[in-house]
Amino acid sequence: MDPITGKIERLKAQISETEVELQQLKAQLARLEALLSLPSPSSEAQANDQPTESSRKWTWPLEEEEYTRYGRQLILPSVGIRGQLRLKSAAILVVGAGGLGCPAAAYLAGAGVGTLGVVDGDTVELSNLHRQIAHNTARVGIKKADSLIQYCRGLNPEVRYVGYGEHLTPQNAQDVVSAYDVVLDCTDHPTSRYLISDICVLLGKPLVSASALRTDGQLIVLNNPPATQGSADGGPCYRCVFPKPPPADSVVSCGEGGILGPVVGVMGVLQALESIKLLAAGTGKENYQGPGEPLTPSLLLFSAYSPTPFRSIKMRGRRSNCFACSASSMLTLKELKTGSLDYVQFCGVTTPINILQPGERVSATDYKSILASGINRGSLLLDVREKEHFDIAKIPGAINIPFSTFQTKSRSTSNGYSAHLEWLPEDVSSDTPIYVVCRVGNDSQLVAKKLKDLGLDRHGERFIGDIKGGMKAWKLEVNQTMPFT
Amino acid sequence: MGVIPKPPQGQFNVLYFASANSFTSKDYDTLPAPLPIGKLFDELEKKHSGIKDKILSSCLVTVNLNYVDVPNGDSEDASSESSVVIHAGDEVAIIPPVSSG
Repeated sequence: MDPITGKIERLKAQISETEVELQQLKAQLARLEALLSLPSPSSEAQANDQPTESSRKWTWPLEEEEYTRYGRQLILPSVGIRGQLRLKSAAILVVGAGGLGCPAAAYLAGAGVGTLGVVDGDTVELSNLHRQIAHNTARVGIKKADSLIQYCRGLNPEVRYVGYGEHLTPQNAQDVVSAYDVVLDCTDHPTSRYLISDICVLLGKPLVSASALRTDGQLIVLNNPPATQGSADGGPCYRCVFPKPPPADSVVSCGEGGILGPVVGVMGVLQALESIKLLAAGTGKENYQGPGEPLTPSLLLFSAYSPTPFRSIKMRGRRSNCFACSASSMLTLKELKTGSLDYVQFCGVTTPINILQPGERVSATDYKSILASGINRGSLLLDVREKEHFDIAKIPGAINIPFSTFQTKSRSTSNGYSAHLEWLPEDVSSDTPIYVVCRVGNDSQLVAKKLKDLGLDRHGERFIGDIKGGMKAWKLEVNQTMPFT
Repeated sequence: MGVIPKPPQGQFNVLYFASANSFTSKDYDTLPAPLPIGKLFDELEKKHSGIKDKILSSCLVTVNLNYVDVPNGDSEDASSESSVVIHAGDEVAIIPPVSSG
């Protein structure tokens, strides 16, 4: 299917879906209007002992339909009518409409929060759908915030939805966040994690934070109870737990590292649960009494493949020298808004690696001709992607030495000039050229450089270099009929 | 993460989560006890060259599921926690921040 036909199909599906939604809304409106226009009881009816006007009037705190809709949770002691009314009067903000945000928002909408805000500047992609359960194939290409709200509205039209089709920034953070009682961090990068934590400290909002990668997840309720900067009664913020961001080049996204759908789903569902607990207990409301005794904050670790999948770690209160929430903090709303805090700078920037000389790099096209010409017969092609990528698709003849194991597998087994590496085939002569390929052309340079440093290039006698642009370039330039992961 | 066996007599386990697990390609290591908490990072650096800068500098450390501060030479909060000693049979965990979602 070519892209235009695909788009047409998607639009058609989207239109029919929206029409269904429109019909549902009309039906709902008609039901409500019917209720209003009930014939007022005539005198004759009164005489016949029919219900009087006052007995027809619904005088209970929730709407009639809501007792049915929320009935199953209403009868729980931890919610009750009081908790349901608190949920109904609460405004909750979900930042990030991805793998965490989708299930979190769905459960919050289902539970009947009053207002649900959704912040996300991205659009739905096909590779999101295995885990971002509120989006669907027909909505690929539309804003995630809109798609998630569309899903939630279908689930529960009683909630007021507010979409923000942009990312949270230091400039818009105060305006967006101040209208809400509780914030959920469902984002995917350290920069947004620190920004959201800071704005929640400054505005006194509890923050339910979760993250997931590969088969692991983390969950922590931060700034709970919320308290002014310097107050020891407040719960720790993200900076108290992780004062220093991880080095930028070690930050792995779900796109690079992979993620199992239910793993991030579990974490998002737990975020919804923690939020419901907070809201039903009245957190964030003016007359909120607090838990009475200080809470011991805890961090929940989820490791899907561990025999102990859930571990709860006892955390400390606020850090006495915390940059954001301690008494000595210089962080203010004004400072945040004027951009004097550079989150990108703070978390570090990765720049594409460029450590090889042009002569040490061949393009994918050139490597193809080298192979075809047979000049470098028997040359070695080292694929340093992780094994899972290699197993999906590879260039014929490549050997796989995953980058993560390269260090340990490249300790030379003998000293001196004739270093031999354990992965190097025995029958390879010492002047056989070595080409290194990775996913997009960064790791391959590091490995090529390392091999040279180990003396394998015999002072230039042997060619060692990489394929520029990695397997991505190979697919683009040489072989389009190949999956790229 | 597979089954973590009990550490041998006189030793303790260090569990590696998230990026610590990827960096070491291991679920855990076993180290001799007792060890003052302040020396933990140096011991791990000996086993996994580069781990201190890449992973440990930004991670959270727990002993028996309790958060502990790890004093490092240049930090100010090196005071109270520096007395923490890891004992035989303890379970230490290296927990780097996960930021994706």
